This record gives sequence, structure tokens and C-alpha cells, in this order.
Amino acid sequence: MSNWNALWKFGGILLLAYVIVRGFGTPLQPGLVEASPNRLAPGHAVLELTAVGQPFAQEGATPEGFTLVLRSGQDLIATQLTAVGPHGVSAAALIPDQVPSPALDAFLFTPESGTLFLGNAFFIEGAGIGPVPESFATTAPEDTAPQLGFSFPYQPNIIESIRNLLWHVPMWFAMFFVMGIGFVASLGQLRTGDARWDHRAEAAVRTGLVFGLLGLATGSLWARWTWGAWWVSDPQLNGALVTVLLYTGYLILRAAMGDDERVGRLAAVYNVFAFVMLVILLMVLPRYTESLHPGKDGNPGFNSYDLDNSLRAVFYPAVIGWGALCYWMYTLRLRMNRLEHRLLTK
Amino acid sequence: MNTAMMSTLILNVLQGFFFGSGKAHVVTGVALIILAGIAWSLWRMDRRLTTLERDVNDSPS
Amino acid sequence: MQGGFHNAIRTAKTVAALEWRLEWRQGHQLASVGLFALSSVYVAFQAASRDVSPGAWTAMLWLVYLFSGFTAVGRLFDRERSSTRRYLQWTANPLGLMLGKLIHAILTTTALSAIVLCGFLLFLGWPGSDGHNVTLVILAAWLGGLSMTTTLVFVTAVASQIQTGGNTLGAILGLPLLLPQLILATRMTAGALQGTPWPMLSEIPLFLIALSAGTSVIACILFPYIWRA
Repeated sequence: MSNWNALWKFGGILLLAYVIVRGFGTPLQPGLVEASPNRLAPGHAVLELTAVGQPFAQEGATPEGFTLVLRSGQDLIATQLTAVGPHGVSAAALIPDQVPSPALDAFLFTPESGTLFLGNAFFIEGAGIGPVPESFATTAPEDTAPQLGFSFPYQPNIIESIRNLLWHVPMWFAMFFVMGIGFVASLGQLRTGDARWDHRAEAAVRTGLVFGLLGLATGSLWARWTWGAWWVSDPQLNGALVTVLLYTGYLILRAAMGDDERVGRLAAVYNVFAFVMLVILLMVLPRYTESLHPGKDGNPGFNSYDLDNSLRAVFYPAVIGWGALCYWMYTLRLRMNRLEHRLLTK
Repeated sequence: MNTAMMSTLILNVLQGFFFGSGKAHVVTGVALIILAGIAWSLWRMDRRLTTLERDVNDSPS
Repeated sequence: MQGGFHNAIRTAKTVAALEWRLEWRQGHQLASVGLFALSSVYVAFQAASRDVSPGAWTAMLWLVYLFSGFTAVGRLFDRERSSTRRYLQWTANPLGLMLGKLIHAILTTTALSAIVLCGFLLFLGWPGSDGHNVTLVILAAWLGGLSMTTTLVFVTAVASQIQTGGNTLGAILGLPLLLPQLILATRMTAGALQGTPWPMLSEIPLFLIALSAGTSVIACILFPYIWRA
């Protein structure tokens, strides 16, 4: 066992350890989650905004330094913050009887975390259309730069589960990567008939399937948290499921053929077919249909979370780490196949 | 809507809870242990394969 | 490949013609599938009578169609197993063979879709209230069947090489491959039954045709490798 070998293998493990520590240990940036009551009438109103994050986590924080402003069209409406606590903020506001737009966005200016935003937080019922009268209006306070340190961005609905980005996405990348190896191996098998290509293909599909199943599992957990359901009928998800089923079929095919010497060629044909279907189902089809899945405006997901620098610092190592782990598992299976072949053909 | 508010309430309490009482550390620790276990079993398989390969190579009959 | 493309076309025509002639002589393949389909429709009718929602109607249609399709295509490559036949066809161009099988399968599907659809209309009638788009339903049934069949032809070709249990394996392997086509076809059928406007459904036939064409192309490219025993 050469030292270079051990280097990349344990390097991958170390990277994953770093990803775990950083991934779970980094705090989340604060964000506004929800507003209540949704419907407001002109006049006096008591507002509640639920928020997550450090500024709100302490009991008994003062509203000092916090400012809440509601925006309708281009005009701003003032509010009076009454409390800041673990639930978020409470405020009192005078709702005018004419507004440029009945939908109100909420901006919360915080002393250390910059400006938090919640779009379409409130709707005004029973007000006319027109500019906000002077007595209700206000100007925006200064935007302070957030002093948040190393922290993960806040995304609505996703909140803390953004950490799953370091598991789910790299796992699918790893699967693609290793299935690609399998595809090339199957092409080689068809061209030359050399059994060594067949070993590579089988090892690749087996390893890729593990990561595909993990990808489905992490995705399902994520869906339960963000969309409320373990599974939805969605082009991306359906494509992923079919792909995993396809490769399972590959293993079943190999098992059914047993020791038939044509296993290699037949399996290779099926694998080529499966990979082409994978590309179509997971990369082509979802781009032309609407999908709930993040990142489906033509991109496989790199830009879907407006990757923060802090996220990037953990995401890229995660991709490399999971890739290295996947490749290690692939080489182990490959060596097993080769050994088996050698022992059987002696 | 109520459940979302409930969950965020729990979340916020969790946040202070999570880091304050070390729950984040528990999760991290568990994950690291699992990772170590996986790494160790892979390494073991690796070494066994190397030994087997050497045996097969040395005695080709 | 022996003889190149021209040879392939000639072989394809011969194979297709051969299959059809055998069909008429022995007569039992299409008839048995037709019988299977109609019996299934009748079971559906017994279960649901004429009070069916568009969703249930679509589901039953495609389930019946799916299993009839399996039955129809599943034995397509059976004759190729017999050793004498294999010897006779040793000189045949594999590409032509596949093309011939595909053409035969497409014709069978067309007939099958007509049988299944007519059976459903006869027993179950149109589901729900009016507003169904007849041409779209026919189109959905035919295109869905087409994409199902092309995939099944390929899978059956692969599975037929397996000595034991090849038939059931073809179904097992084929089912996941058919999921995308079935999802598209059922969506189009349900939409057509409820009178969904054409622009909303327009991309589905394109996808189905693309999938069918793509599968046929890959099947033709890969079949020579399977065939070379």
C-alpha cells in the first residue's frame, strides 16, 4: 500500500470530518419567517413577526437599535417596535387608508445582523390606491453592514436544513461521477470484450447505486422538512427514482444471468442504455418542465442557494470529500471483482 | 400556518438550546463517530484486499 | 455489419413481413393479447360500472394497456431462441432484424391501442361530464403505447438472451424504464378527458415521440451487440 494511496483516501475522510464539524457547527444567519396577522385593516394594528437567529434567541432583548418598516410599492410605513424576543418581534403600526399596493413587505433593520426581509408579509384590505399620506410615512434608516462572521445564509422554508446541502448534493454528484465511469467502462466492454472493463462497470454501478439511494434518502428528509411531504410527483424526483430503479435492474440482470459468459456484454448493453436514460431523465427533461426542485431554471443547482462564501467554504470540500469516499468504495469493489475473476479462472 | 409558527418557535428555542446546551455538538459527535466507523471498515477491507492480492500474485499456481 | 444499410432495410422488410404472415397463419398472438385486453377491460367495468372519474378511467386504461403491452411484446423474441431458427437467421442482418421487430411491434401497438380504447369506450363510456377531446385521447393512447412498446422491445431483446426466467425478467426490467412514459401518457390522457386546452398539453406528445425515437435509435445501435452470441 503506497503512501500516496493512503493520502487521498484519508484526505477524503478528513475533508468529510471538516465538513461535518463546520457543517453542523456553523450558526445560521437570522431571518424573518412569518408575519401575523396576514390581513390588516386601515387603522391601528398589532403586528407579530416570527424570526430565527441570534438577535432573537435571548430572552428580554430590547428593541433598541431595531427598526421595522413596511413597504408598499415605493412608499414606506412606520411602525413602533414593542418587543424583541425568542419569538421574533412585536410592533404596533398605524395602517393608512390609501396605499400604492395592498401587499406589504417587511424590513427589519437590526443593529448587528444587517437588514432582514420578508416579502408580502401583510395584505391590507379595505384601503384605496394612492400614495401613503405624510403622517404614516417614514424614511428608511441606514442600512448597517451585517457583522455575522462565519455563518450560513438564511433561506425561507429551508432555514436550518440548508446544512443538508453538504450531503444531498455531493452525493448525487458522486453518483453521476461514478456512473460516468461505468458508462465509459461499458463502452469499452462492447468495443473490446475485455473482462476488465466489465469489472469496472459492475463496481461503478454498485457504488453509484449506494450513493443514489443515499441521495434519495437525504432528499426525502429534506422534502419532508421544507415541503411537508416525504415524496411528491415531480419530474426531478421521478427521474431520480427511475434512475435508481434502472441501475437496480442492472444488478438484477447480472444476478439472473449468473455465470453465463455473455453476462459482460449484455450487462454492458443495458448499462449504456441506462446511462443514456439517466442523462435524459435527470438533466434534459427537468429543464423543460416545471419542477419544485431547487435550481431548475436551467442550472443543476449551483446557484440555487446564492451560495454564500461561508457555504462555499464547506460545500466545495464536501463535494471533494464525498467524491473521494465514493471513489475509494469503487476501487475496493473493483479490486474484489478482479480478485474474484483471477481466483475463478485459475 | 400555526404549525409553521410552532415549529419556528421551537426552532428559536432550539437555536439557543442547540448551541447553548451542546446539542449541535452531540449531532456533530455522532456524525463523526459514524464517519470514523465507515473509514475504519473501508480501511480494513482495503488492507485485506492488499494481502489477498499479494498472496494471489506470489503463488500463481 | 454485413452488407450495410441497404441490406438492413431489405432484412427489415422481410422480417416484418414474416412476422405478419406468421401472425395471420398462427393467428393467436394478437388475438390472445386482444382477448387479454378485453377481459381486463371487462373486469374494470365490473369493478367500476359506468360511474368513473377521469382520473380512475385513466388509471385503469393505462394499467390494462401496460399489461397487455407486456404480453404482446414479451414473446416477440421467443422464436429467436429455438436453435434452428437461430441458425437460419445467422445470416440475417441484426440491424434489419431489430428494425423488423420494431415495425411489427409498432403495428401491433396500433392495433392494441385501438382494441383497448374501443373496449373502454364500449363498456365504460366517457368518464365524467363532457369536454373530452377525442383526438387527443386517441393520440395519447397511441403515442403512449408507442413509447411503451419501443422500450419493451429493447428490454425483451436483452432479456431473451437469458436462458431461464427471461420473460418475467423482461417485465421486471421494463417497468422502471416505462415509468417516465407512463407518467407523461397518463397526464396527457387525463388532461384530454377533462378538456384541458391544447397549449398546456402540447409538449407531452413531443416528449413521447422524442422518447420513442430515442429508445428506438439506441435499441438499433445496441442490438447487434446483444445478437452477436
